[in-house]
Amino acid sequence: MLLEIDNVTLAYGRIQALHGISLNVGEGEVVALIGANGAGKSTTMRAVSGLRPVSQGTIRFDGEDITKMRADLRVVRGVSQSPEGRGIFPGMTVRENLEMGAYTRRNRAEIDEDLNRAFTLFPRLKEREKQAGGTLSGGEQQMLAVGRALMSRPKLLLLDEPSMGLAPMLIQQIFDIIVEINQQGTTVLLVEQNAQQALSRAHRAYVLETGRIVKEGTGAELLNDPAVKDAYLGVA
Amino acid sequence: MSETASSFRENGGVRGWLGRQPIWVRWLLILAGTVAAFLLPYAEHVPLIGPQIVTEGVDWSSALFEISYYVLLALGLNVVVGYAGLLDLGYVGFFAVGAYGTALLTSPDSILYEDTGWKWLMAVPVALALTMVAGVLLGWPTLRLRGDYLAIVTLGFAEIIRIVATSTTTLRGDRGFASIPHPPGSWGGEPIFGVTDAIPYFWLGLVIIILVILGVRNLDRSRVGRSWLAIREDEEAAEVMGVRTFKYKLWAFAIGAFIGGLGGVLFAGEQSFINSQTFVLQFSILVLAGVVMGGSGNMAGAILGGVLISYIPNRLRGLSVGDTDLYEYRFALFGLAIIVIMVLRPQGLIPSRRRAMELKDREKEVAPQ
Repeated sequence: MLLEIDNVTLAYGRIQALHGISLNVGEGEVVALIGANGAGKSTTMRAVSGLRPVSQGTIRFDGEDITKMRADLRVVRGVSQSPEGRGIFPGMTVRENLEMGAYTRRNRAEIDEDLNRAFTLFPRLKEREKQAGGTLSGGEQQMLAVGRALMSRPKLLLLDEPSMGLAPMLIQQIFDIIVEINQQGTTVLLVEQNAQQALSRAHRAYVLETGRIVKEGTGAELLNDPAVKDAYLGVA
Repeated sequence: MSETASSFRENGGVRGWLGRQPIWVRWLLILAGTVAAFLLPYAEHVPLIGPQIVTEGVDWSSALFEISYYVLLALGLNVVVGYAGLLDLGYVGFFAVGAYGTALLTSPDSILYEDTGWKWLMAVPVALALTMVAGVLLGWPTLRLRGDYLAIVTLGFAEIIRIVATSTTTLRGDRGFASIPHPPGSWGGEPIFGVTDAIPYFWLGLVIIILVILGVRNLDRSRVGRSWLAIREDEEAAEVMGVRTFKYKLWAFAIGAFIGGLGGVLFAGEQSFINSQTFVLQFSILVLAGVVMGGSGNMAGAILGGVLISYIPNRLRGLSVGDTDLYEYRFALFGLAIIVIMVLRPQGLIPSRRRAMELKDREKEVAPQ
């Protein structure tokens, strides 16, 4: 397993956000976390990337215990997150944003190679190369967030709500690209409100409710699960 | 006429024009500016403009020296607020630590005098090290806080320094420290840094300012500057990019403290006397106002802000309209000037382009379409 989360609890002050979550992500998989607002999806992501310290439990990445590791060292180990709300640096140009993604790396030739890869994945970003991040449209910012997260050459890509605020056409497109990234060898853990898209694209998925995992299975299994259909897919 | 003005603006205004000039033109302009700055003490001899510029109620060279340490403070605070985006309301605390450090090590009034009684120049590195330590000590527990919380803690820090200075016998409160030695050096048998003439102190201040500008500019263009920029624009995103945010915030604090301390040792060396009255809270707020007014995140802006906050009140001294002395209304006039500038140019007089972009972005966050 590339990522093993074992019985993790996490609290914001006195509010318990995660009540002992356990989940796994295998190398080469696309795994989705679905659930309602406030279910603890983003919190789980933050625990993995190191933005929030966990209260109990362990997180192992690539065989190593990273539960208490600093966030910047996790990036070096191969965890990369596209944060909630995209987290684009508004005053930096598209290119500077992408370069920021390669912050922990030194090999200029490799970085240039990855810049080209990002521009190939998202030709739109190439057109906007010298434009400030803050001037991009929502869809373009999402592309930039994903492209930037790839610039650290991660083993595990964490995507927090990649479809948020995007038009249906763009949602299709961004998920196509996520699948493409996965096929090129990057493991993906993604959080989504758009359960339909997430479940049909992911190998496996977990359903979160109020800080607990209430269901897990392959994407297809959950798509056909009556309870999931009822609660998350908007069909009875 | 208005057409040419607008096309000038589209081409990036003065900065755009500067950017298109060949490198030697830019260097020549910088050189000319520097020389002009060094000649400022003789401004009154310039026909027509000169008499308008110089302060009437205050000795012009003393006013210039005051400008020089305000500019230093503005440059230092600009690193903390403008570059790293950390709101520090107690910046005067570091200025105080620098000045008191110098006083304790040199003044005959100091309890350390028997053991130290150093010359000014010997005390400088120790006092500066002290301010950096103060910066780290303040930053270590507080830089985990964000925004408003950090502002409140820094406000408290400056007040603590002032109250300790006022009420402990070691720091002598109002009575202060006298006979702090001046900087060293002599010219033709006379000491360069004397009591009556403030011009050499202004020149010393200018030299320090230039060194600080060069140092900060190098930092800004390095990995450190890139880290600050990322932290300022989105701290959480910076962290998931692998920026060790705590470390770089601490660096910003320490470097800001160091520059503030430079202002403090310079101040102590010129005044030769300091007491706790100098380091009031309004001082911190004034410097912050200067940085924001000039253009936070842009060194030219911070410098202009530092100049304005010290020059305007001094220029008003001795001026009167009818029977009213304008100096008495300096705070009101000054407040008015700040309001007008902030209404007309919220991003500052010489804004940083990135900062302007960030401001726009934040507006969007507050009121989404």
